[in-house]
Amino acid sequence: MFLGDFHIHSTFSDGKHSVPELIDAFGTRGFGVIAITDHLCESRTTLGKAAGFLGHTLTPATFPLYKAILRSEAERAWREYQMVVIPGFELTKNTLSNHRSAHLLALGVTEYLPADGDVKDLARQIRALGGVSVAAHPVWTGKLEKQTFHIWDRREELESELDAWEVASGGLLFQKVAESHYRKIASSDLHSLKQISSWKTVFDCDRDPGAILDAIRSGKVRFAYYQDGEELILDDGICDRTDDCCLGNGPGADFCRNMAVSKAV
Amino acid sequence: MALGLTFVGTWLSLKQFKSNIPHLDAPFGLFPVSVLKPLSGVDAGLSDNLETFFLQRYPEFELIFSVACESDSAVRVVERLMKTYPAVSARLIIGDVNEGLNPKVNNMIRSYDVAKYDWILISDSNVRVKEDYLRRLVGHVDNGVGLVTAVVAGTAPSGIGGWLEATFLNTFYARGMVLAKALGEACVVGKSMLFSRSVANRFGGIRNLSQYLAEDYMAGKAMELLGLKVVIARDPVRQHIGQYSINQFWQRHVRWGRIRKAQAPLTFMVEPLFGCLVSGLIGAGALSAIDMPFFAVFTAHVAAWFLCDSMIFRSLYPECDDRRAILGWGVRELTALALWANIAIGRTVKWRGKQLRILPGGLLETH
Repeated sequence: MFLGDFHIHSTFSDGKHSVPELIDAFGTRGFGVIAITDHLCESRTTLGKAAGFLGHTLTPATFPLYKAILRSEAERAWREYQMVVIPGFELTKNTLSNHRSAHLLALGVTEYLPADGDVKDLARQIRALGGVSVAAHPVWTGKLEKQTFHIWDRREELESELDAWEVASGGLLFQKVAESHYRKIASSDLHSLKQISSWKTVFDCDRDPGAILDAIRSGKVRFAYYQDGEELILDDGICDRTDDCCLGNGPGADFCRNMAVSKAV
Repeated sequence: MALGLTFVGTWLSLKQFKSNIPHLDAPFGLFPVSVLKPLSGVDAGLSDNLETFFLQRYPEFELIFSVACESDSAVRVVERLMKTYPAVSARLIIGDVNEGLNPKVNNMIRSYDVAKYDWILISDSNVRVKEDYLRRLVGHVDNGVGLVTAVVAGTAPSGIGGWLEATFLNTFYARGMVLAKALGEACVVGKSMLFSRSVANRFGGIRNLSQYLAEDYMAGKAMELLGLKVVIARDPVRQHIGQYSINQFWQRHVRWGRIRKAQAPLTFMVEPLFGCLVSGLIGAGALSAIDMPFFAVFTAHVAAWFLCDSMIFRSLYPECDDRRAILGWGVRELTALALWANIAIGRTVKWRGKQLRILPGGLLETH
């Protein structure tokens, strides 16, 4: 079994750490898989253009470097830590209205995909490129920040188009998502390493990008709260004692048990 | 504010040229270096410029010259120098690779691939260096350094275009480069770029830079994205300008300006406000509202600006002809706004006979 985090930002958008720093941070902590998912904002909207001016988004100009660095760092991560690095990005559609804003993770996609267009079309394009689409923080995140409810508002229509939904972001579990029958993953939405303590996704499959993406698609994942600096033991014994629910020993574990998150998957 | 930035930029530049001393004990040792010299035609003083690289006092280095085609007039110059200095490891590579639209990178790819050593120095044909140049450049390599570049000093100008070029390089560009670095934005000049090939290969090597107009800027950007530092060497590299027409000057700076526009559009938009005359007019106009004499304020502003510029200019090109430098400075200031406007209204550049369109971020496409 191994831990995964699929929502991480680097200096290619609004993250504080370079890709190599992130690889080393997660690799030395024993993670089995991570995905770097920098923002890729719409190019036609005012907020998207502003992100471009501020350098907070991937662009057609920076994408070739992003792709090359992710590829070389993935090789290094495997060589040094036996950690899989999945390429990806976060299609970012921000408007002033939270109900018209949507963030969609594209995991396993190495081609530039403009964020302009409808979420349904974007999800289809991600699948066509062999990737996995994940609704990022689709409900209230509990933080004073931009909220993105558009995908959740259209959940019945989009259910079959999306491969998974984020059930947690950082330390907060999303109750509405947890109670749903959707396939789920948990990640940190990390912009700084201070945010590394968070819910993570637990895998029991080969450490191989294809096997990991298939596990997400089929919902064969569980969740654990990772508390940085504390030992996290992922084995069958721990798993049994926690009602086959969450793994790990962080402060969120009790909450996870009460929520019985993994029973939904 | 503009004058304040000019003061700060001038102070930082002078400090850069005087106190950023390279580690002459070279923390990483005097590692072998492959020097790549992409050539295209015979620039003013080409033979003398190239010869300074044959005269480097450095334990182990090789020179790799490259031209796109055999008929290039630089071939004879290189062959003659190679015969004159047979003890220096030097090669001439003929034939470019059609990788991207940047002709300079296309011209270097084969050299980059066949270079013997991991450390690569890309050096333009029109720079002239001292014999300890490599040794001092290597002294800047330390832990966490990804790339070492240098400020360009414009020297030996001839003609009004040449003096305009020298003025631009020795004031606006030199100060801008140091100031940008201080503000956290690495500006890399392709005339002198030292880096490790194994590190550059982590972002796809120079092949991945062939799609950009400013491969030097993007190399610096890529190094920073890898979490590595870009360092400006203490010693400027001297560009031998020679005879330059106004048209040559104008076309070249339109190209450079459109690079700035594509890479940093916000900064480019406010650029005129940070020019001498425009900022002087605005400042004097504003202060006249509180009864300060417009003409006196404007004159003092221009004088202070000129003083800053002349300090950097003399620091980079001490043997310059003062009268011509002042004339070049005056013409440069008077034409700066027109040049900016010319840059602003277009998105294409002509480079080595190719008409290219610059996309946002500096990507190139054929026009």
